[in-house]
Amino acid sequence: MSDPYKVLGVSPNATDDEIKNAYRELAKKYHPDNYSGSPIADLAGEKMKEINEAYDTIIAQRKQQKNGGYSSYNTSNGGYTNPGYAYYSNTGFGDVRNLIMLGRIADAEQILDGVPPENRNAEWYFLKGTVLYKRGWLEEAYNCLARACQMDPGNGEYRAAMNQVMNQRNGAYGGYNPNVTYANGCSGCDICSSLLCADCCCECMGGDLIPCC
Amino acid sequence: MVFGYIRPQKSEMLVREYEQYKAVYCSLCRQLGKSYGMMARLTLSYDCTFYALVQIAVGADCPGFKNGRCVVNPLKKCAYCNAGENELIAASALSVIMTYYKIKDDIADSRFLGKLRSALLLPFAARAHKRAARDFPWMDAIVSKSIQMQYEVEHRDNPCIDACAEPTSEMLRQIFESIAGKPENSESAKVRILRQFGYYLGRWVYLIDAADDIEKDIRFASFNPFVLKFQLNQSSTQEELDKVRGYVNQVLNLTLSQLIAALNILDLNCFGPIVDNVVKKGLPQIQKEILFKKEKMHVGSL
Repeated sequence: MSDPYKVLGVSPNATDDEIKNAYRELAKKYHPDNYSGSPIADLAGEKMKEINEAYDTIIAQRKQQKNGGYSSYNTSNGGYTNPGYAYYSNTGFGDVRNLIMLGRIADAEQILDGVPPENRNAEWYFLKGTVLYKRGWLEEAYNCLARACQMDPGNGEYRAAMNQVMNQRNGAYGGYNPNVTYANGCSGCDICSSLLCADCCCECMGGDLIPCC
Repeated sequence: MVFGYIRPQKSEMLVREYEQYKAVYCSLCRQLGKSYGMMARLTLSYDCTFYALVQIAVGADCPGFKNGRCVVNPLKKCAYCNAGENELIAASALSVIMTYYKIKDDIADSRFLGKLRSALLLPFAARAHKRAARDFPWMDAIVSKSIQMQYEVEHRDNPCIDACAEPTSEMLRQIFESIAGKPENSESAKVRILRQFGYYLGRWVYLIDAADDIEKDIRFASFNPFVLKFQLNQSSTQEELDKVRGYVNQVLNLTLSQLIAALNILDLNCFGPIVDNVVKKGLPQIQKEILFKKEKMHVGSL
């Protein structure tokens, strides 16, 4: 295995906290949520595994050093484990789901397109949306997922996929959100907390800015 | 096909990163002159600089820098990369090839003045293009195929946004995937990630360009996927336009989320923070400037 410190991008002299921060930063980047439905999800999973192992190795080594090298430490330090992508197969489109899972997107789409329009149910739209999403046709995918949710509002699987896309559209995964004030803004909270700080400072020096507190 | 959207956000860069970025930019300018003549320098763009940057970043060698003088203005000092020549050569070829097709496209599309200007530039571009296409036939094939596909899509009946974006996405997908080298290891992690990266970068560029042109395309009744989708016309109100811009921003964010996901697992040996800055800060900034600035400013130089 390669140098665990290099994997996390930290120096071997880094403190435990620095290592933890570096690990968290990377875990956030490789988090499966960022890749659900993406054709490169498996590669992100590998990256996640790499940093988990690196983190566990470093922590174990350090524990061992601290304990004078006696204990063999049980490795599992709260690293993130990939829950995988759950495909339920008790449905009418088991074959399509299998093809999607195998990455045979074109074959899956061919079967889906062969379904006559009157037989296209919520699951059909969900799977069509999944296939389109993998192909990069994000807007058509969004429309299909919306249709699936509309046809079967109670289905958690469709809803989860839809929520993911909604969040991505609103800039939760990067991009620009016109409704959020960025860094240089000053909100009501900022004003209040600044005033409270000023009050505390005054009180230290014997004065008082806000008499009631 | 338009240039200049893929650029870093300068205010968020370290001075050292900015200098490195400029060094790649200046090196590309110099390489353009070396490979395709003085006039080819005019095709220099941020987009092709980014292409050079990513190529160097995923490559094995990190370039050092040496000081020199600007080739255009000898009074100005600037730095140059002392490695990455092959990457810069490929980027200059892409620059020349894309500009050539853009000029041809402008001759077909624009009105009198634009036509005249493009017609005057065409002989220079054609000569440079001939040499670039000889050196990089695969690149020329990818770009010309994409132009042809775009033409076909736009003449189809009511094409959807995804279909309109496909040719550009596909073009950059192939161009970025070729960074990883020969096709025999076509399923390596690097190829798969670069493929995704290129596809969504192309998609983003197409969409932002279309968004930028909404008003112009309404005025001249040119093809525009958003104008078509929302049936916009001369009598559309500012409110309607703002609503469309909000929608376009969401489409761009969704695209960017995929682009960032690919970038996050791409191994970069150097320039990592610069590439990160361009994708995570620069592109959203352009979205903001094009879609939400009250008085629209032209996106100028860095």
